[in-house]
Amino acid sequence: MSLAEEYTEASDDSRLERGLAYVQRNSRAYLLIAPAAVFLLAVVGYPIIETFRLSLYQSPADSNIETFVGLQHYVEIFNSDIFYRLLWQTGRWVVVGVAGKTLLGLLIAVHLKGDIRGRKFFRTAFLIPWGIPYAISAVVFRWIEHPQFGYLNAILLKLGVVEQGIGILGNPSIAWLGVVVADIWIGTPFMAIIFLAGLQSIPQELYEAAAIDGAEKWHQFRYITLPQLKSVVLIATLLSTIWTFVSFDVIWTMTGGGPISSTATLVIHIYQVGLQNGNLGRGAAYSVIGFLFLFVFAIIYLRIYTRGGDEL
Amino acid sequence: MTMAGHDRSSLRKVRLYGVLIGLLGLMMLPFYAMFSSTLKPESEIFAAPATLVPSDPSFQAYLQVWTQTDVLLWVGNSFIISVGTVVLTLLLAIPAAYSCARNDFVGKRTFLLSVLVVQMFAPVVLIVGLFDVITQMGLFNTYLAVIVPAAAFTLPFNVWMLYGYFKTIPVALEESARIDGASQVQILTKIVLPLTKPALVASVTYTFLYAWNRLLFVLTFLTDSAKYNIPRGVFSMVGALQTDWRMMLTVSVIGIIPLLILFAFLEEYIVAGMTAGAVKE
Repeated sequence: MSLAEEYTEASDDSRLERGLAYVQRNSRAYLLIAPAAVFLLAVVGYPIIETFRLSLYQSPADSNIETFVGLQHYVEIFNSDIFYRLLWQTGRWVVVGVAGKTLLGLLIAVHLKGDIRGRKFFRTAFLIPWGIPYAISAVVFRWIEHPQFGYLNAILLKLGVVEQGIGILGNPSIAWLGVVVADIWIGTPFMAIIFLAGLQSIPQELYEAAAIDGAEKWHQFRYITLPQLKSVVLIATLLSTIWTFVSFDVIWTMTGGGPISSTATLVIHIYQVGLQNGNLGRGAAYSVIGFLFLFVFAIIYLRIYTRGGDEL
Repeated sequence: MTMAGHDRSSLRKVRLYGVLIGLLGLMMLPFYAMFSSTLKPESEIFAAPATLVPSDPSFQAYLQVWTQTDVLLWVGNSFIISVGTVVLTLLLAIPAAYSCARNDFVGKRTFLLSVLVVQMFAPVVLIVGLFDVITQMGLFNTYLAVIVPAAAFTLPFNVWMLYGYFKTIPVALEESARIDGASQVQILTKIVLPLTKPALVASVTYTFLYAWNRLLFVLTFLTDSAKYNIPRGVFSMVGALQTDWRMMLTVSVIGIIPLLILFAFLEEYIVAGMTAGAVKE
């Protein structure tokens, strides 16, 4: 930057004027994005700031008294056993859930890829679980897993796997598995459809060339499909990780986080502490910790998404 | 093709369809459990162990459900909330997406990326702060208490979806209309939007589904049971001590029928929307 330019830059007046002139020239463009921008600032931006602020206060929901406590909530959270238990429970929930969705989704997509009869029917049918309210899927699974009247126990009894009906959701050591099954069922269709789209964009010539070279099916999958599908798998699992991490409706409807908090994840705890128990400050502090996790995911996602750089 | 080759390919086909039907069966099992239970009389639904096939199927539960639950009200509320969310989202998303697709201006990249980040900020991590905002705006216990946050979280997808689509519409079309004396609004409504139909259908479907399915906002911002949507209604039927499973499952079946119809007709658009949201290639 030359001295002359630096001088003009430093002059506030001309900078403001130039800025205003620029905005004026592009006024229509700005006016058109303004409603969306203002709306998002009010409904998402402001609550983010408000959450940060609240996390520094002792703030019971039923009164207007707010006491500034600084970082006390955070100190207490990091010193509590609950927090580490929540991390562990959230971690296993996300890892098992995402792995299940990815593998099942891949399995479905690979089988739907070819030129098969009734593909539209299969595709629609596989998609349905994704589209219905999570709360409804959750009550249906709750019903299936019912200790006395559920279908799961009826089948297990018939097959002789168990001798007596088992109550999955009432058992603190396996309840989370009962919930994760429902979550996998809900999340698999998305993965299947995304993978299918990815598979269909792989040039057919690659397979033809490989077939001529005598490559077996498994080798084709290993050396063509998987590498070609890599970026799609990356994006889809990352999205799925985010969604599974913040998944609320399923757990809340099936167990409410219980029994004895064994199915609670970080976000379930946010809701319990902040809204159910009305401890807004503590709930907000947990939310901020949740933000940090999401922030990391978001940065990775944005990096992958804008890697090309030509999209914007 | 040799005989052996023919055999092998039909064997492969059998295996392919076998796996597909097996997987589909697995995915459909919960629907079977749900639907078959609603066909059982009250005495049979509380049989232990459960009968896998209703011994004397009847649609009696579907007649009872109208008088014993608020299912109609809930379906109606779901419609109000979904339609409201769609309208609000499109009103905000169309101008923004159009502006980004047609103009280059300082802050555009920031805007588009922040919109993308909003999608990451799942509502539940924001719920405590959002609760404050909804109360301060005086929206608590109104439909808007659900519509406003739902619109905020469907906006990102809509902006990106429409932005991508608008960019594919040739500017030349608009310029020739402008020469013919069409106003900016006319160009948008008469030329651009009709051409954007596939993207709009995907947007509307996605937004409608999102708002129809969400429990969290209704659970948190509506205490007035007359405004419950279907997920909230179903949730309210889960009793602490006793649950009328038969009625609850019947309501669930009724609650997903509109969605099944939507899926049957708009499957392609839904898929297009899902894929556009996640994959670029």
